[in-house]
Amino acid sequence: MIATSSDAGGASLPEDQLFTLRNADGMRVTISERGAALVSWWAPDRYGRQSDVVLGYASPASYRDNQVYMGAVVGRWANRIAHGRFVLDGAAVQVAVNDRGNHLHGGPQGFHALRWDGEAQPQEVLLRLRSPAGEAGFPGNVQIQVRYRLGDDGALSIDYEAVTDAPTPLNLTAHPYFNLNGGSADIGDHMLQVDADYYLATDATGIPLGMAPVGGTPFDFRRPAAIGARLCWPDEQLRLAGGFDHCYAIRGRADGQGGALREVARVVDPGSGRCLQVSTTEAGLQFYSGNYLDGVRGRAARPYARYDGFCLEAGAFPDQLNSELAATAILRPGQVYRQSTVYRISLQ
Amino acid sequence: MPALKKTHRVALLFNANKIFDRDVITGIADYLASTRSSWDLFLEEDFRLRLPGIENWQGDGIIADFDDPAVAAALAHSRVPVVAVGGSYANEADYPAGVPYVATDNFKLIKLAYDHLIEAGLRHFALFSLPQAEGNRWGQERERAFEALMRRERFEVEIFRGLATSAQSWDEAVQQQIAWLNSLPKPVGIIAVTDARARQLLQACMLAGIAVPEQVALIGIDNDPMARMLTRIPLSSVIQGAQEMGRTAAHLLDQMLHGVRLSGSCILVPPSGINVMASSKHESTKHPYVMRARHFIRQYACQGIRTDQVAGYVGISRSSLEAYFRRELGYSVHDEILRFRLEAATAILARGDCNLADVALKCGFTSSQYMHLVFKRELGCTPRTYQRDAAQERYTPPVPFEGIPL
Repeated sequence: MIATSSDAGGASLPEDQLFTLRNADGMRVTISERGAALVSWWAPDRYGRQSDVVLGYASPASYRDNQVYMGAVVGRWANRIAHGRFVLDGAAVQVAVNDRGNHLHGGPQGFHALRWDGEAQPQEVLLRLRSPAGEAGFPGNVQIQVRYRLGDDGALSIDYEAVTDAPTPLNLTAHPYFNLNGGSADIGDHMLQVDADYYLATDATGIPLGMAPVGGTPFDFRRPAAIGARLCWPDEQLRLAGGFDHCYAIRGRADGQGGALREVARVVDPGSGRCLQVSTTEAGLQFYSGNYLDGVRGRAARPYARYDGFCLEAGAFPDQLNSELAATAILRPGQVYRQSTVYRISLQ
Repeated sequence: MPALKKTHRVALLFNANKIFDRDVITGIADYLASTRSSWDLFLEEDFRLRLPGIENWQGDGIIADFDDPAVAAALAHSRVPVVAVGGSYANEADYPAGVPYVATDNFKLIKLAYDHLIEAGLRHFALFSLPQAEGNRWGQERERAFEALMRRERFEVEIFRGLATSAQSWDEAVQQQIAWLNSLPKPVGIIAVTDARARQLLQACMLAGIAVPEQVALIGIDNDPMARMLTRIPLSSVIQGAQEMGRTAAHLLDQMLHGVRLSGSCILVPPSGINVMASSKHESTKHPYVMRARHFIRQYACQGIRTDQVAGYVGISRSSLEAYFRRELGYSVHDEILRFRLEAATAILARGDCNLADVALKCGFTSSQYMHLVFKRELGCTPRTYQRDAAQERYTPPVPFEGIPL
């Protein structure tokens, strides 16, 4: 039986449990039941100094009001749906609208805000959630399980599984904000590499306008480039979004079909020597440069500022439900939704 | 059939005899390969820069190295769009006016080198610069960055420029470097403004018998493979974002050629990495005999040296040296020699395909069988599997050459 709690929180509720995974290399990863969030990840730098390489709130309770999806698992639909509207098997569906007239990340009370039911296993943490039909306007009762595992090679695997009793769109992702220097500076000097020839150009509200080649644009990260310097390139897409907040179509997966788990992106911080490798089964990889972090109060002494962290969110394409690729993003009864994403931190 | 796009004539004004300028040009080529823009590139045959007549050149755009004030002056009234490339300046007023400028961030280059040295445990720092000249203002900016950093961190500012290299003054230059090295408190972390400069200083250390990195930990800038090849002790270096500067400059010029107005924008490109090698792998103080022995081993491990030769260099008996090693490091002199051979072998194997017998020979192993044995014992794999795993670790997705006009 899956225990659920869709209450946003109150004094009478039990506290959200925290789980800590450790590996032989001295890494520590903490996961919260609230939002199934990755709360902290302590990893050594080139000189053996441990730092927390993800952004987070000071107290576990703050994850109950997680406006920027800090570290959380996001659903039922990660990313955007134009006007919160789509057609499912011939019927129009309207879901919650919470971002400039569009649906974003499951709505205001999406999976990120809910209390998952956590269970600690020797080497992993299992988190389960039941999302009732009608939640945020989505049809079908959906059961979700997320499994976090930390390997001795520094790989944090996130495996998602879900089933439904009626057809529903489903797109899950993880939303950790990384800062590989541990917060001593913003992410401007991080070197990013993404294995993608195309990205989705967007309108002013973040809805895709279509696939665009990365060549000749600041979005071309086929060779490693510093994020901060790219943010300075004169470019209309960057200006509209206030930085990077765009989905890449992973090479060979522009048809929206995922594939076998493989490395799709890499980020290196030259100062600390830390390297983040992202592997996924998904077709899309949203790169977000933390454009709206200004003023968010987190663990650091000062509130976070723009570009203090970046996200690489693996999943389906934004607004895929309103494209010719809609069918691949629908989960039907009898099917099992599966996605795997691995964030691996190592030293260069 | 789509209409043919206009081909623009673009001049690249660089002194591309240096790795930095070559990398910038590589970045420009990389950008062009990734777009539909088509440029005819004008470069001197020897990749060097000649200014006379540039104002009469019938082209569409110019990307130029502005570090030399003569270039900036010659292009000040250019009729065609110009994008400048150069070093960052501490003083805003030093940037050329009215020209988009792509700069290597001199402060961050120095800061990355300094952060590395201080994390390695050093508490004295010095900068090995070069004599002032037109065309190396970046050198002076790196001095400024070093000075600012030292003041901020409350350390002594120790900067040495030395002599320019020339055949006549070679010996004198080396003697001056040795005198300077001897005058510094030890251990000291030295940042050289280029790898070429670092290489000279490394040589001076060898001549003076100064142990690197025990007494002098050294790091250069450029990650120049040539400088690395010419040093016995592998040289640590900060890698400039030069290719990215090339891509950025090409993008800016591409925008201007398509009518976008960019007058004074300046884009600072940070270093893209740091290559940590033996020259800066400083460890906390060990016994002078051990330091001296390791210094010798580091240089000659790959030439088949034996323990008694090391002891001979240090000037003590083989058994006392072994005793010092056991006490200070917990392993034998021979283990240390093997460690360096293994390190050299893994570095060669990681670079790609090669003959194992050659690798064994090059790294001072008596046979490839013995190398095999050492790999199995120390790394738990064979040289071949090590090489295969290293190949899989390398990750550079190919850039598809889409849109190159035929």
